[in-house]
Amino acid sequence: MPLLSVKQLDKMFGQHYALKDVSIEIEAGEVHALVGENGAGKSTFIKIITGVYQPTAGQIFWNGQEVQIDSPAAARQLGINVIHQERHLIPSFSGTENLFLGLPYPRQKWWPGIRWKEMERRAEQVKAELGIDIPLHLPVAEMSPPERTLLEILRAMLLDCKLLFLDEPTASLTDQEAELLFSLINRLQSQGTAIIYVSHRLDEVFRLSDRITVLRNGKKAGMLTRAEANRERLIRLMTDEEKVAVPQQRQTREVSQEPIVLDVKDLATLDGKVKKASLQVRRREIVGIFGLAGAGRTELLEAIYGLRPLKRGVITVMERQTSSPTPAQSLKNGVVLIPEDRRGHGLVMNMSIRENMTLPILSAYTSSGAIRGKKERADVREQMTSLNVKATDSEQRVSELSGGNQQKVVFAKALMSSPCLFLCDEPTQAVDIMTRNEIHRLLREQADAGNGVLFVSSDLPEVLEVADRVVVMHDGESIAELPVAGLGAEDVLQLCYRQRKEGAASHEAK
Amino acid sequence: MPHLMKQSNGQRTLSLADMLRSYGTVMAGVLIIIGFSLLNPDTFATWSNAINISRQISFLVIISIGATLVMSVGEFDLSIGAMASLAGVIAAKLASEQVPIILSIVVPLLLCLVIGYVNGWIITRFRVLSFITTLAMGTILGGFTFWYTGGATIFENIPDSFRYLGQTSWLGIPLLSIVMIAIILLFWFMMSHTALGRRMYAIGGNEMASRVAGINVGFNKNAAFALCAALAALTGILMASRLGSAHPTGGNGLFLPAYAAVFLGITVGKAGVPNIWGTFVGAAIIGILANGLTIMEVPTFMQDVITGMIVIAAVIMQKLGRDSR
Repeated sequence: MPLLSVKQLDKMFGQHYALKDVSIEIEAGEVHALVGENGAGKSTFIKIITGVYQPTAGQIFWNGQEVQIDSPAAARQLGINVIHQERHLIPSFSGTENLFLGLPYPRQKWWPGIRWKEMERRAEQVKAELGIDIPLHLPVAEMSPPERTLLEILRAMLLDCKLLFLDEPTASLTDQEAELLFSLINRLQSQGTAIIYVSHRLDEVFRLSDRITVLRNGKKAGMLTRAEANRERLIRLMTDEEKVAVPQQRQTREVSQEPIVLDVKDLATLDGKVKKASLQVRRREIVGIFGLAGAGRTELLEAIYGLRPLKRGVITVMERQTSSPTPAQSLKNGVVLIPEDRRGHGLVMNMSIRENMTLPILSAYTSSGAIRGKKERADVREQMTSLNVKATDSEQRVSELSGGNQQKVVFAKALMSSPCLFLCDEPTQAVDIMTRNEIHRLLREQADAGNGVLFVSSDLPEVLEVADRVVVMHDGESIAELPVAGLGAEDVLQLCYRQRKEGAASHEAK
Repeated sequence: MPHLMKQSNGQRTLSLADMLRSYGTVMAGVLIIIGFSLLNPDTFATWSNAINISRQISFLVIISIGATLVMSVGEFDLSIGAMASLAGVIAAKLASEQVPIILSIVVPLLLCLVIGYVNGWIITRFRVLSFITTLAMGTILGGFTFWYTGGATIFENIPDSFRYLGQTSWLGIPLLSIVMIAIILLFWFMMSHTALGRRMYAIGGNEMASRVAGINVGFNKNAAFALCAALAALTGILMASRLGSAHPTGGNGLFLPAYAAVFLGITVGKAGVPNIWGTFVGAAIIGILANGLTIMEVPTFMQDVITGMIVIAAVIMQKLGRDSR
């Protein structure tokens, strides 16, 4: 008897099916991957099983009994927990306090005070059982991203968790940290906990899951066991296109004669996140920045763009020098930033596509004080068509778009100012494969058109596939600059890890 | 309120819930007008009372539009009541000392513009909460006003020309109502059709994304605070002109209804953001209620109770409408 059995689940939003006729069975102790493009219905499925949404039709069986999961609390009561991409923790509370959020705190016998000792004891116990070692006495604000993920898993296991959803759990983790997570997943699995693993990273999916369910446009496109699954087959199921865009092996361009678009010398930020970074980007060149988490990659891009005050260093964009850049100045010089956090930094969610896209260049549309609406609308439509943004029209709010389409709006916004240098931070994070390929194509087109591209990615294969040159960062410093031709993933990783060991050794020497 | 009626997608029809969400507040306003008209056909539903209402609401509308600007950048200005009082007494005092009328209007306006800019500067420069900063600023201004007037109403030696703005009508329409309409049109244009308005809304929607888009967040917020203060000052001056006198706490009472009007206004239209027409509707509802209830001889304290309940009902209705989506 399966642990969870979902039969013919439908969910409608207005006239539109978000899920249609989806049936899935989950066995106790299995890792079941759920894959599909953005907008395929994965999130809706999670929300129904965890009690956030009510299904329009269909049945849910838990241990053979039909159940109504009418609230998140009801889901937790059954033993269903979810760990979201966005962390649901209170930053100012300690790890232990966060563990007990939503649980009855152990009370003193004679007065309503909390038995802190008892809380700590129980927390330590679960920690020991799962072999997770995180500093629970620290406030969450001081924990690293993987520690937060582990904390959330601990929290789920504190309750009697039988089914755990992991939604893109490795999105913000380095490879090493992800390994930690994987071994934990294996341990949970051996204890009989079922795991539904949602991820765009197919390597992880193949490695971890016993079975894989593919969703496409709200319908179940197929279910494969690990033995049956391979990348080609999975991608075909997800995209429903005979012709799957295979990443072409690209020739690196010859750019040594091209003029330099961006020259960064000895950059250091006031907050110490970037300590000593130098790099150059030429016209027609794509440069990737790679480094382990915490190496200061994002911070370097932000510093170049003018979001982070500098302590030292000179930035030269098209021969214009500055040591105190501002976003407005950067935009004027033709530099655009495509931030990692598109909801937080890239878009104004309650504004329309049009309003978002023209935000940096409003002055260009203003004549005698007023915005020229017609011109604005026409330009936005043109840009939307050329980037294939799927929306009802330019007036739709960006909050109503799927993740991939939101990212396209961010790109479209960048293109509106006809930039000469793109700073892209994790441009393909948590977008589906089609959008990912489109974004790669776009970056190449921009380079071919004579612009410079500087991008950060935690996905090393992506860097090697897209970039002409890679700058390796470690602990706030740019430690190497390598042409990609003939470079293997191992070479780069070895640089990162060797540097890390050396760093550790020199610390010990002191 | 950028695209209230331009939902140009074919398949989505305007359902009843959608209608209620977007126009529920407007409909409630219409119902209130119909109700009062049926109850008092001879006194409420007359042309002269309509003119009367338009003059009565002008103060609230103008000060609320200022509050709308500050709220559109995601901040609060709690000093607007004190600001209106201060501007009123300064204008009246200058007029009573036979300073040219134009100066006795412009001086307090500019002074408050500067104070408002300082409000914004403190908030953006030191990243402190606007709530606390402007509360404190309001207290300071209140104290200053009291010192300036000695706590007494200013009414002696005020020339008739000072009363012109507040007490004259053109072609049967009070000058106050005309000023109000001009202010509405001006700021509606600013918020919907200029880069400044778009930037303010962007900052209110997502400050960080606005920074990335190259917007000078500090300057735009300061501008919102300065304009808000100037509108509060204008309100205080118009009140003094209407009454022919100025009391040191004369404008304080407008502060809460102003925010009530903005919040009511947010419920008008789909956008769910502070907007000029919405604020006008909100202020008008509050003003019409006051007028109608006064005609029906409902005591003032009861009017406050009813107004408060309507604001709460409006925000709940909108919340319900949103969640059912």
